[in-house]
Amino acid sequence: MQGLSKQQALDQLRSRIERIEKKPPLAEASSRSTGELSLLATPRGVIHEIFGDTQLEAGNTLGFALAQSRPLLGRDRPAVIILQLGPDGRELGVPYGLGFKSFGIDPEAVVFGRMDNPIDLLWAMEEAIACRAVAAVVADIATPIKALDFTASRRLSLRAAASGCSAFLIRYTREREASAARFRWRLVSALSQPPPFDAHAPGRPRWQVTLEKGSLDGRRVSAAPGGEVFLVDWTERGLERVATDGRRGRAQRPAPLSVPLPAAMGDGLSQAS
Amino acid sequence: MKLVALDDRAGAEGLFIGQNVTDARALVANLELREIDRGYVEQKFAEFADWHSNASPLVSILSDQAPWGDLVLDITGVEHLFGGEHAMLDMLVQRLSALGIAAVGAVAPTIGLAWALAHCTQQRVVEYDEVSAALAGLPVAALRLHSDQVERLKHLGLKQIGQLYNRDRRSLRARFGAPLLLRLDQALGHIEEQFVPRLPATEHFSERHFADPIGLIDDVLMTARDLAFRLASKLEAEALGAQTFHLFLYRVDHKVMTLSVNAASPTRDATHIARLFAYRAERLSGEYEAGFGIDLIRLGASSTSPISEQQLGAFDAEDGTSSVIELYDRMTSRLGALGVVRHSFVDSHVPERAVRLEPVIAAPIKAKPLPPIRAPRPLRLLPQPEPIEAAFAQIPDGAPPSMIWRRVHYRFVRSSGPERLRAEWSLAHKKLMLTEETANAAKAAKQLEQYYGEGRNTRDYFIAEDEAGRRFWIFREGLFEVTATPKWFLHGFFA
Repeated sequence: MQGLSKQQALDQLRSRIERIEKKPPLAEASSRSTGELSLLATPRGVIHEIFGDTQLEAGNTLGFALAQSRPLLGRDRPAVIILQLGPDGRELGVPYGLGFKSFGIDPEAVVFGRMDNPIDLLWAMEEAIACRAVAAVVADIATPIKALDFTASRRLSLRAAASGCSAFLIRYTREREASAARFRWRLVSALSQPPPFDAHAPGRPRWQVTLEKGSLDGRRVSAAPGGEVFLVDWTERGLERVATDGRRGRAQRPAPLSVPLPAAMGDGLSQAS
Repeated sequence: MKLVALDDRAGAEGLFIGQNVTDARALVANLELREIDRGYVEQKFAEFADWHSNASPLVSILSDQAPWGDLVLDITGVEHLFGGEHAMLDMLVQRLSALGIAAVGAVAPTIGLAWALAHCTQQRVVEYDEVSAALAGLPVAALRLHSDQVERLKHLGLKQIGQLYNRDRRSLRARFGAPLLLRLDQALGHIEEQFVPRLPATEHFSERHFADPIGLIDDVLMTARDLAFRLASKLEAEALGAQTFHLFLYRVDHKVMTLSVNAASPTRDATHIARLFAYRAERLSGEYEAGFGIDLIRLGASSTSPISEQQLGAFDAEDGTSSVIELYDRMTSRLGALGVVRHSFVDSHVPERAVRLEPVIAAPIKAKPLPPIRAPRPLRLLPQPEPIEAAFAQIPDGAPPSMIWRRVHYRFVRSSGPERLRAEWSLAHKKLMLTEETANAAKAAKQLEQYYGEGRNTRDYFIAEDEAGRRFWIFREGLFEVTATPKWFLHGFFA
C-alpha cells in the first residue's frame, strides 16, 4: 500500500466501494422470492413508481403491480391493499375482483380502500406500509398530490424498509419529478401475440416495460438512455420475455418448459430500444 | 289557545296552566305571551336528558303523555354509589332545583308506579312489597290513560286504582279496552314495560371526573387513553373482550357528545383502543364542540364476548403492526366503515351485480361455493358503463372495427366474443338502469317495461384490442332481431 500514491489508493477504494454497491446487500438477497425464477423480481420493502402515459394505461399498470405483488404474498403476509380515490374510480374504473384470478391473486386476500381526499390516501398508505402483515400496497394516483413530495416519499420508503412491505404508486403522466422511490417503471402496452387457435383474437397481455430507475439483481442501469427496456408477456408462470422479432405467423407454440427460461439467457437477444 | 307555562308573577296574578289565552288577557292587562316552539323544546329536553346519564347510564324520555317533561332513569345497581335510593333521589332533585328547574321525582320498582307517584303525590320511595298498596290510593288518571277513558271511569264511579283490583278483567276489557289492563299490569309489575335508553348501553365502563372542565381534544384523547387502560384491566379481570367502544363526553352545560369505534374482533388491548379513538377524532373536525368545557368522560364497552389470554412473544414489537385485523380497525376508524371494503361474490352473472363490496370489519358470511366463471373478466370495471359509438359491426354477432369513446377514436385490430349474458328474468321489474337517462326514459314508457322482453336487455360482450395493445370490454345491449337500434357501451379494461 505504501508503493501507491494517495490518488491511486483513493481510486482503489472507490472501485471497491463500487463493487460492493453492485452486489445486493445480504438481507435483501435472502428475502427475495425463491421458487419460481421470476423475471423482473424485486426485493421486498421498496417503493415502486409505475408510470403510464395516459389514463388509458389504467388496466396495464394495475396488472403489472399485481404481477409484481404476487411473489410477495405469503403465509405471514396474507394481504394486498389497493387504495383509490372515489372520483378516480369513475374515471379509471374500479378494480374488479373477478379479474384477479388470471393474475394468481385470490380476491379474498385483497382489501380496497376508498377515500375522498388525497390526505386520507397518504395516511392510509403510510398506515398500511407500516404493518408487517401486508405484502403490498397499490395506490392509484391520478392527479398529482402536492403533499407527496420528496420528503414524504422518503419517509414512506424508510417505513417500507422497516416493515418489509412494498408499495406501488401508479401515476398517469409523462412528467417525472424527484422522488425517493427505489424503482421507477414505465409501462406502455404492446400489441399482443394472438393465440394459436384464433388469429383474430387478443392474446396474452403484452407490455413494454422500461426500468428507468433502480437495478435488478444488483446490476447497474444500463447505459441506454431512459433505462433498460423489456418486452414481456404475462402468463400463468409469470412475466416472460418476448423476442423482438416476435413470433408472428408461427402456427404452434413450443412445448412449455418445466422451468422458465432464466433471465440471463435473454441477454443475448436483441431488445427493443 | 291555552297557556302551557307561567312564571311566578303570572301565577301570583291568578293565572293557571290550561287557562284560555283570551281569559288570561282579560284578567291581566300587560301580559306577555310567546308561542311555544314544540320541536325546539323537545330537542333541548332530549339533550338535557342525556346529561342525566352521569347519574345512571340508562336514561329514557317517557313521551306517552307529553313529548317532554318526563324522564325515567333505571337506577338498578347504581343507587349504592349515591348512598341509597333516598339520597339519590334527593340529590337528583336538588341539583335540578339548583339549576332553577322545579322537578318532582319518585323511586319505585315499576315505571308506571313511579310516574303515578311523581305526578299525583309527593316524592316517595316505594319498596318491592309496597307496590299494590301504594298504587291503590292513587286516582285512575295516574295510569297514563287517555282523558276520555278517565272520564268514563269516573262516570262509573271508579275513581281510585284500588277499586279496579278486584273487578272482573274480561268485563273491564270489554268496556274500556285492553290499554287499561295493560297499564294496570305494567304499574303492578306483572308485565315488563319496555325501556329504550337514549345513549348506547354499556356493560363495563370506566370514568373520570374533572375538577376544572377541559376542552382540548388532545386532553380528551389523553384521558381516553388512561381510561382505556383501566377498562382493559376490568375486562381482563373477567376474561372478556369487546367489539364496540363508546366515549361519552359530558359537558358543563348539560350536553353529551358520543364517539363510537368498532373493532373487527373482540379486543381489550388498551393501546389499540386509544389509537382507534385518536383516528376517529381526526374524522370529527367540525363536529367537536366543547362549549364551556367537559367535566366527566366515560369510556364504555359493549358487545363483549369472552376471549382467552394471549401469549406475546418476547421480541414482538407491541405497536400493533403485526396483525392485519388491527390495521383494518385503524383504517376503518379513520375512513369509515364503507371506506375499507373487500369483495364478496354474489351468484349472479351480470358483471356489476356479481361482486359486492362489504366492510372489512364485518364478519364474512360463509356463502356456498359459486359456479366458476370461465370467461375472462376485466381487471378494472367502470362503475357505470359508458356509451360509445360503434358503427359497422357485423350483424348479427360481430364486433365493431372501431369505436369513439370520450371523443377519441380507437381502431380495433383484434377482438373476441361475443359472450352473451341475458338479463335476469326474476328481476325484470327492477330493470337494471345503466345511466340516469335510461332510468327516466323507462319511467316514461312504463307499460313496455313491465314484462321481460327476451333479447331486449341481453348483452353481448366483446374483448377488443386496439392498435396500441390496450384491451377493452365492450358490449352491445339488445339483439338485432329484437331492438331496432341496439346501443354499445364500454364496461371495463383488461391488463
